[in-house]
Amino acid sequence: MTAEQRTDRMESLSDSAIMEKVRDGQVEKLAILFERHHVKIFNFFLRLTGSHNLSEDLVQDVFIRILKYRSTYEGKGKFTVWMYRVARNVHVDHLRKNKGTYNLEDQFEEPESKEDSPMHALEQKKDKELIQKALSQLPVKKREALILSRFQDMKYKEIAELFGCREGTIKASIHRAVKQLGEIYLELQGGVPS
Amino acid sequence: MTCSNIQERFVEYLTGQLSEKESEEIRAHVAECSDCRRELESLTEIWTKLGVLKEERPGDRLRTRFYSMLETYKLAEEEKIRKEREGLFSRLKNLWPRKPVFQFALTLGMLVLGLVIGNVWTVIPQQETVNTALADEVQTMRQTLAASLIDQGSASERLQGINMSYTLVDPDDKLLDKLLSTLNSDPSVNVRLAAVEALYLFHDHPKVKKGLIDSLSRQSSPMVQAALIDLMVSIRERRAVDALKSLLEQEDLNPEIKDRAEKGIQRLSF
Repeated sequence: MTAEQRTDRMESLSDSAIMEKVRDGQVEKLAILFERHHVKIFNFFLRLTGSHNLSEDLVQDVFIRILKYRSTYEGKGKFTVWMYRVARNVHVDHLRKNKGTYNLEDQFEEPESKEDSPMHALEQKKDKELIQKALSQLPVKKREALILSRFQDMKYKEIAELFGCREGTIKASIHRAVKQLGEIYLELQGGVPS
Repeated sequence: MTCSNIQERFVEYLTGQLSEKESEEIRAHVAECSDCRRELESLTEIWTKLGVLKEERPGDRLRTRFYSMLETYKLAEEEKIRKEREGLFSRLKNLWPRKPVFQFALTLGMLVLGLVIGNVWTVIPQQETVNTALADEVQTMRQTLAASLIDQGSASERLQGINMSYTLVDPDDKLLDKLLSTLNSDPSVNVRLAAVEALYLFHDHPKVKKGLIDSLSRQSSPMVQAALIDLMVSIRERRAVDALKSLLEQEDLNPEIKDRAEKGIQRLSF
């Protein structure tokens, strides 16, 4: 076990302990879990949807649901797996309500660039818009799995637990997702490799 | 290892989830296989490209909203608990009827219930009184019987009467007088000894104490004298010292009794 994995496990242990306290009535302890994880969940939603405002709303919904369903927390497995399960449900419910689209004006909004060269900043902005657009064209499940693996530091095993399927399935699915994303990206570029 | 096996592990290779040995296998394979090399290159390109989606910070609004939501939730939970408690109280309150007629009926019912309970309660001591009266009656009968037996001619009947007096809790003056006179004047030594034992049980009675002390000088039998001396010592009757001293003055006193009386005086004076 590497030092990183050990810290990981310790962190998740204390996450679980805190969540058990929240479940047993100390709801104010949820603030600790919020401070630890809200940026990560926010970025999960941001990469899924491409929208800043929507992602903030969805993060809020995740914590509302954690409170609402706190009594169902069993303390088995990693807290983050349970948390991302809630997050996925929040996202899927949002899509269902809005008939599969995000229906937002601020999608792919401009990030605040700190680059000094305006030309470089413009290029980066275009790149980002393009990759976000490509990502949004991936089927939801593939997109989720890819984002969890690429950005949210989740292992195949944890993603498999979250999706309720075998590790091998996730492995293959993420591989296909990356491949498909590459194809979509190429297509969006007009078939010209960058 | 087949190409598809290798390709399936490309993402793990890119995320650094493979061991050094496994990574080496991948590198060795792509160095040989151009298809896999192209595949890894294109995957690496898009994987790297995803890096432009940098981690961003949510606005401060998110934190503000979260804390106000948490506060609202906490207050709502506290309110819920308060309401549950109140609910219990109001359910009790609801048991009280609204209509005056029913209120009256309920009050009447309570009153009747109270009376019934009160009645049951008072019946029990009454029964106790009955029991006590019965016991008293038995006691009186025994006393009469004991007294009449003591008056009988035969020694065995007199003994029986004295034995019966053992069972009495609080014998009356008449029976005590009879026991004392038996102690002083019964011709049988055995009867007199039995009287000493019976009177020992009632020695708390002032009359009995005085009678026992007075009796000491009247006894002629050494056995009765010894029994009386022992009794005085065991009840620690200090007033008996004078009676014992006058007993010692008797000329024909049994030496054993003398000795016992002297020891008794010592122990009582101590």
